[in-house]
Amino acid sequence: MGSEQSSVRMDEDVLTTLKILIIGESGVGKSSLLLRFTVDTFDPELAATIGVDFKVKTISMDGNKVKLAIWNTAGQERLRTLTPRYYRSAQGVILLYDVTRRDTFVILNNWLNELETYCARNDIVNMLLGNTVDKENREFDRNKGLKFARKHSMFFVEASAKTCDGVQCAFEELVEKIIQTPGLWESETQSKGVKLSHREEGHGGAACGSY
Amino acid sequence: MAVSPALLFMDRNLLARKQNARLDKQNDLGWKLFGKVPLRENAQKDSKKIQKEYEDKAGRPSKPPSPKQNVRKNLDFEPLSTTALILEDRPANLPAKPAEEAQKHRQQYEEMVVQAKKRELKEAQRRKKQLEERCRVEESIGNAVLTWNNEILPNWETMWCSRKVRDLWWQGIPPSVRGKVWSLAIGNELNITHELFDICLARAKERWRSLSTGGSEVENEDAGFSAADREASLELIKLDISRTFPNLCIFQQGGPYHDMLHSILGAYTCYRPDVGYVQGMSFVAAVLILNLDTADAFIAFSNLLNKPCQMAFFRVDHGLMLTYFAAFEVFFEENLPKLFAHFKKNNLTPDIYLIDWIFTLYSKSLPLDLACRIWDVFCRDGEEFLFRTALGVLKLFEDILTKMDFIHMAQFLTRLPEGLPAEELFTSIATVQMQSRNKKWAQVLTALQKDSREMEKGSPSLRH
Repeated sequence: MGSEQSSVRMDEDVLTTLKILIIGESGVGKSSLLLRFTVDTFDPELAATIGVDFKVKTISMDGNKVKLAIWNTAGQERLRTLTPRYYRSAQGVILLYDVTRRDTFVILNNWLNELETYCARNDIVNMLLGNTVDKENREFDRNKGLKFARKHSMFFVEASAKTCDGVQCAFEELVEKIIQTPGLWESETQSKGVKLSHREEGHGGAACGSY
Repeated sequence: MAVSPALLFMDRNLLARKQNARLDKQNDLGWKLFGKVPLRENAQKDSKKIQKEYEDKAGRPSKPPSPKQNVRKNLDFEPLSTTALILEDRPANLPAKPAEEAQKHRQQYEEMVVQAKKRELKEAQRRKKQLEERCRVEESIGNAVLTWNNEILPNWETMWCSRKVRDLWWQGIPPSVRGKVWSLAIGNELNITHELFDICLARAKERWRSLSTGGSEVENEDAGFSAADREASLELIKLDISRTFPNLCIFQQGGPYHDMLHSILGAYTCYRPDVGYVQGMSFVAAVLILNLDTADAFIAFSNLLNKPCQMAFFRVDHGLMLTYFAAFEVFFEENLPKLFAHFKKNNLTPDIYLIDWIFTLYSKSLPLDLACRIWDVFCRDGEEFLFRTALGVLKLFEDILTKMDFIHMAQFLTRLPEGLPAEELFTSIATVQMQSRNKKWAQVLTALQKDSREMEKGSPSLRH
């Protein structure tokens, strides 16, 4: 009951609700990333996601509260035919691959096609995230991911859901960019006249290592 | 019961002083102060034990709580040891208590003993009741096992649809006969034999071998699409097995059921290459493995997946799945109009929560023992019960859900509360009416299927 009340209260002063989609091949760590981000835990043996799984988290950005509705999709190709409509009205997408698994990287083009096909608008913020950087047997160095991301004008972050490395940054980066994109989101409290602090364009959060 | 003048020990100062003494002589056996009067009948613990208990209650010696609290605590929770503590004389080197004070203390003490006894009696009664309840449950399970084994199973064909069996069935099939009953209820329309399973398994093993030895060939660009698809399937099976009921720790690499699960899923991809492996299957197979031998589990698995609803979902037949969702919504609106309107208003479509529930037959979203009870009735009543269960879940949480927005509802439904009470859910399911305007589930579904076929004919562009 208490949490219910607090969530209602929180809703009153959130600036906006953003829909974030997490996609990528099966087993690259989409659910783990989300678990790390939302409740800051890691479970090496998470059950496979069937269909789609949801998490909600409110974060603070420059003093404004932003509610994130995160849609975490199943990775198997067969099940992907179910998800096209889930792309609708998403403001941000995180595309994951596993830096130790070649197959999850070479298939990224397919995912981009999917994004292009199903995302109605083209100003949606995309982020490429190389997960499991804590592992020894890395197959792809950072530059390869960065190059791919640049080519497709995506943000790029390397992270580890296991060690927590880069996870918070990735989401903050994504949200910041969405907030900076005019017309991509609508304020839920416009009547209150909430104004965002002006931020310089081109600021990509170098601290997180994205470009 | 006679009370000795030892009630003197209730005196606050004295007890405090005594505790200090205890701090100095921690290693002494027993309390010197208590040594003079022999222990009474109901206080036959040796001093060492008493001291131990006292220390446990009092906490760390370095930080003794107020003595009065100690006594109170002792009386509240451990009347026996308290009796031992109190029925001691005041040491001879200290002045005696005034008579009226002693009288007062005696009275208080007696009251406390009465209270403590009452509490003990109550606790004993509670424990007895609990034990009786457990015995009753165990007896009823035992009786049910006998009924299933001696009466129902030998006369399956004539008895399975009788009123009596249906009632017993609803209460849950005892685990020891569950696999047998499931097998019979699911049937073997496909006529799969153990030999066929062995053949499929041998073929699957061959594939795994060629996959592991010819790894470089796999990456060849000219590898056929279906071969690549099959290999992706086999890879995904490997990945998913360890992600099937991870908390049980039995399906992981090296776990006792790892190979069984691997065998069934692998054999199935050879038996039905057109279906292959789809995520969610590993959960279905795992539940069967927990109740049946490998070959029988494979037979049940293949037949279960061959049912129209499961085929529609596992072949990801989008149009047919939408028809199932539409049929579900007919009964949703009929049973829970208010919640239905709330879902509509928030654009919460059934696929959001039903996909996981139907693909895994609730084994991922409900506690395993509860999921097995859902399976019990599902094996008897078929697909209709899966959707009835969904409505039962929604009904159970209707009040909570109507207060939530889209994302909170979606989050709630894709991760149901842990420890969902079985009886409450079944009561809720029982109240769900699977009739809409005199039409049953199958009729509604057929009508909708007809509609969607006609629509497809009318506007081919809508086809997927």
